[in-house]
Amino acid sequence: MILLEQKHNDINIVELSGRFAMADCSDVRERLKSLIDEGQGKLVIDMAKVSFIDSSACAVLISAFKGMQLKSGRLVLVTSSAVQSLIELTRLHTIFEISPSQVTALSAFDER
Amino acid sequence: MILVIITNKQTINVVTLKITSAVNCVSPLGEAIKALCLYATGSECYALDVHRAVVEAVNNVILHAYSNQDGHDIIVEWNQEKDSLRIDITDYGLSMQTLPDPVLPEFDAESGRGWWIINSCLDEYYYKVVEYSQTNKFYKPNSDNGYSEEFMVKSHSNVLTLIKHF
Repeated sequence: MILLEQKHNDINIVELSGRFAMADCSDVRERLKSLIDEGQGKLVIDMAKVSFIDSSACAVLISAFKGMQLKSGRLVLVTSSAVQSLIELTRLHTIFEISPSQVTALSAFDER
Repeated sequence: MILVIITNKQTINVVTLKITSAVNCVSPLGEAIKALCLYATGSECYALDVHRAVVEAVNNVILHAYSNQDGHDIIVEWNQEKDSLRIDITDYGLSMQTLPDPVLPEFDAESGRGWWIINSCLDEYYYKVVEYSQTNKFYKPNSDNGYSEEFMVKSHSNVLTLIKHF
């Protein structure tokens, strides 16, 4: 799995691509934690190019969500069809804010 | 590394894959299973369901049966049957005493979704513990009691069977 970071104004963007599964979780969790701790409470996790996730990856996303909540921040996910279907299967779409693309995710921060 | 054994090369209906209990083996195994399911059914949806279930099951074997220790065998046998696919996942680690209930945990729980996913993606699954035992009968000369018996469980295997109908 590949992880790329970028920033758009005060919004941190993490782009993941490939498979996001148990073997990748430790590194992603650590990186997200740093971004949340050091950032300004705005994070987009773009998984539009993620071809597969498992429940371990969901755990990392939940951890990031909780970390953002503690900072009164906001996390927006961008999902691929494979990611979206697992998030819906596990009913996590009821807690995560999900956008269809990175562009709309970034726009969402401007709206509030 | 994944070791692959194809039993019948004319019609590929039994494929055995063997990996070691390392987390980085799970993704390639999952992709192999997905490819086999696509070969058998031509259905991306079907293949994804089986892929997900197998990955969750093998993750559980590594984390719980083998306590996240590398170097132990996990054998995955993919069987194409008349009306369904059957996948047997065998390990030689700690056995489950019961099958966990396939329920979703609280939304903010960071674990416990695996069995829900397995249950949602498949039609049936079951688990068995196979114990290989040995009974020794000791006969001693001039013994009044005939023989003494010693019973030992020599080894065991745990087999999780996953079934998805066509």
